Amino acid sequence: GLARWFPALEVLDVSGTGLSELGEELLALPRLHTLLAKNNRLGPPGSLPKGLGRAPLGRSLRVLNLSGNRFAEVPPALLALRGLRSLSLGGNRLHGIPPDIQELRSLEFLYLGGNFITSIPPELANLPSLSYLVLCDNKIQSIPPQLAQLHSLRSLSLHNNLLTYLPREILNLVHLEELSLRGNPLVVRFVRDLTYNPPSLQELAGRTIKTRNVPYTPSDLPENLVRYLSLASNCPNPKCGGVYFDSCVRQIKFVDFCGKYRIPLMHYLCSPECSSPCSSASQSSTSQSESDSEDEASVAARRMQKVLLG
Amino acid sequence: FRYTRNLVDCGNGKFNLMILCWGEGHGSSIHDHTDSHCFMKILQGNLKETLFEWPEKKGNGEMTKKSERVLRENQCAYINDSIGLHRVENISHTESAVSLHLYSPPFDSCNTFDQRTGHKHKVKMTFYSQFGERTPCVSTRDRAPH
Repeated sequence: GLARWFPALEVLDVSGTGLSELGEELLALPRLHTLLAKNNRLGPPGSLPKGLGRAPLGRSLRVLNLSGNRFAEVPPALLALRGLRSLSLGGNRLHGIPPDIQELRSLEFLYLGGNFITSIPPELANLPSLSYLVLCDNKIQSIPPQLAQLHSLRSLSLHNNLLTYLPREILNLVHLEELSLRGNPLVVRFVRDLTYNPPSLQELAGRTIKTRNVPYTPSDLPENLVRYLSLASNCPNPKCGGVYFDSCVRQIKFVDFCGKYRIPLMHYLCSPECSSPCSSASQSSTSQSESDSEDEASVAARRMQKVLLG
Repeated sequence: FRYTRNLVDCGNGKFNLMILCWGEGHGSSIHDHTDSHCFMKILQGNLKETLFEWPEKKGNGEMTKKSERVLRENQCAYINDSIGLHRVENISHTESAVSLHLYSPPFDSCNTFDQRTGHKHKVKMTFYSQFGERTPCVSTRDRAPH
């Protein structure tokens, strides 16, 4: 039908026409690269034509705008569009983002603002070309640190969500030019960690054995303790040689953008005293190492300051 | 990736007339107007204007919202520093917006404010285009709010 009459069709705008489904007649359009279907009644299963991924349309489509519809989930049929560069599902009823979003290998622009999204799957970070990510006006409580792997990301919109802090890794996004954070309940004053449970005697003994390299063999200890000792994790603080087992601290550290903005970043440390080498034996001065890690943070912070939109 | 400021006319130095183009979700910082008159008219779409009180000296608390309204197509608004500060945003996730702005006298820098603390920061304002010609940014520092 449609493909026979309009074989050269490249752009189709059916926005605001009250459509409740996009029909199979679109599938054979071999040149259609931009499909705009904003402000319609799409959303229930069957809104998108079956076999989209295998059809000529599935290969040609580069830009798809489904904003202002009634999608409660990202339609699985969409995820087969391997050539898609730009996707908008703004102003729908999405409660989440499927991990299979990573299938959209060519995606550069993703607009998901104005939904009810509560969390972001780390798989979103597997989109190698993503440069523009809009997640504003949702219900997002935290950002997975994996998002720092989005090396091409130039613009990140997070305003009007439920974020209280950001992962420290966000400072690794060196190509980021824009970041919006307003309208989040970002923690304003320094928060002494509230979630630290003091380590057990077993953990303290384990830490000492590991940090002092106390030698042992499997025949020296019960099997469960040998296994326990093998589970030691290194403290993420690069200046700390400490280890921890179960008891690690989530600490909110503020990165001060030269007195302009203070952004709370979440750090994981092996103990509340850890902002400097924290081996229990030494009482090394904390100020030196603290200022070293402050320097790293403030260099990154100065870079981020240029990027932060008020 | 964010709203653009496009200079249309300089009025022999007495005013700046510009067109701002706002994509879906784009918004400005809270900012002042450097003692100038500012008129705004909506040419397309809708823009939400939120008015704020000036923060106390050495502000150290959340800024106070005075009022907010949504300006529709062809509606006009006016502000100057004695009225207060404002933030302008396109809150639509489906439509872009276009506004016409008249500033007299012209100014090329203003202060932006952190809503959570009232701290202010001076920024230089840049144009995406002037008289129809694209004028690339000199630097990415100190982005323009409005």
